[in-house]
Amino acid sequence: MEENNYNINKKLIFLAKSEIRLKILTELKEKPQTLNEIVKKTNITYSSVSSNLNKLEFNKHVIKDNKTYELTPMTKIYINHLIEFKKSMDIIKNFNNFWNKHNIDYINNESIENINDLYESKLIETNPTDIYKTHNTVKNQLIDSKSLKAILPYVHPEYPKLLEQILINDGNIELILNKTIYKGLLGNIDKKTKHDSIKKGNLNVHILNKDLNIYLAICDDTMNLGLFKNDGSYDQNRILSSKNKKSLNWANELFETIKIEAI
Amino acid sequence: MTSAKTKEQLNMEFKGVKYILTSSMRTKLLISLYDNSKNLDEIRNNLKKPSATILHGLKELEEVNLVKKNQKYYELTSNGYILTTNMIKLIDNWYSIDKNKIFWDSHDLTGIPESLLNKLYLLKDSQYITSTTKDLSNAFNYYINLISEVKNLNIILPIYSEKHLKYIIQFLKDEKLKHVNFVINEKILRTIKKNEFLNKNLIKSNKVTIKETENDLKLFLTISESFMSLSLFFKDGYYDDSQILVDKSIDGKKWSQALFNTLNNGDENK
Repeated sequence: MEENNYNINKKLIFLAKSEIRLKILTELKEKPQTLNEIVKKTNITYSSVSSNLNKLEFNKHVIKDNKTYELTPMTKIYINHLIEFKKSMDIIKNFNNFWNKHNIDYINNESIENINDLYESKLIETNPTDIYKTHNTVKNQLIDSKSLKAILPYVHPEYPKLLEQILINDGNIELILNKTIYKGLLGNIDKKTKHDSIKKGNLNVHILNKDLNIYLAICDDTMNLGLFKNDGSYDQNRILSSKNKKSLNWANELFETIKIEAI
Repeated sequence: MTSAKTKEQLNMEFKGVKYILTSSMRTKLLISLYDNSKNLDEIRNNLKKPSATILHGLKELEEVNLVKKNQKYYELTSNGYILTTNMIKLIDNWYSIDKNKIFWDSHDLTGIPESLLNKLYLLKDSQYITSTTKDLSNAFNYYINLISEVKNLNIILPIYSEKHLKYIIQFLKDEKLKHVNFVINEKILRTIKKNEFLNKNLIKSNKVTIKETENDLKLFLTISESFMSLSLFFKDGYYDDSQILVDKSIDGKKWSQALFNTLNNGDENK
């Protein structure tokens, strides 16, 4: 492999090596500040902030104007990339139960590179007093939603009625699923509603011969992502759910990519 | 001393970043396992490091759940895969920006919106052309050469320069160049209009559209169907006509078009 291309840059190491430095840089990224302001905000001692600022100034990462320290434009860019990376690590950590021991093969690389778009998502997990929490979360969205884009690896008995209602309300549904799921789901929707909707272009179904080990349901303003466990079973106990615009775009991109790859 | 509590908080906040990025062994192991799972022999061949070092690193990564061992093969966990994808993205971006660092470092970048500065990595294929003491107009000649062969131009023009504009008029007359679309600051535009030749052949030409802006433009950007070029001002406010950054890649075009659109619409998100 082109090992040399991936040697971590010395400057990157310098910036990442000290937690105190990283904290100061993160603060200055928000806005230019004086030494005292940084001390107050971070609770790091005066001498420590001061010596680190000197080092940063010496290496041309910050400039001092009067008493205010500011990131140099290039360092600002570097720090932004570093913070993006940190965010991706936070996403792994914050949703550890969701990713850990689960299959992410169906999430393409571009979507993984953009994983930060999911930063403001919520991890919804069932618990002993509310074992249907994940299902009910999606169900409530479906009741209110005018549209649905979904990749469904299983059928919940309530799905046919929920989807039928969207169609009766003249809503739009696009589905990616395999034959078995197709029969179980659309076989239980009123025939006339189904045919009328297909005619009107309100119901689009892409049927696959293989299994898709991922769950994705995009309603009007919420997206939900579910994963399979490494043992091959679907994990019904957790979904990642978000109303955030970036997350919705992320989910739509993923849906379209899987559609293209699968068909 | 910074209090133990503050230290602990900082530790929690940045531990992961520091842990991964400051050990070349750990980063190399993750990258080595990124394409496919490997056994110890394969990793050793790949990294050319002693087994003990590699095993130590692998054990550490197993402990933080980034790597798992399956039979005799080591592979990334899903956490490890997400992390490594984004780590490679970080290193790639960093490397791409560093390539033209001298150009970026020596100029005033305040005219470029932050959202686009963060995407400087898209310009990884660009090169900068510099005038030398032997050939003072090397950058200028290179530029004229570039625009002599294209059909359409989108230009952000922050300076009044007769010699640039006269060439453009010439190319329009030759009918090789079909259309030019300018974004010009009102002060510069007023100066151009005062020059009768330029006013008649450029401003009033039906092959030229002009968008006047109140914004103080701090970059000279040219986009055609085949290239984009960028010149900037020095930090002391003087225009630098000795250096020009040129990019002919799709990514370069994407970046420059986004920059043009931002300045053209006047909604600089600063």
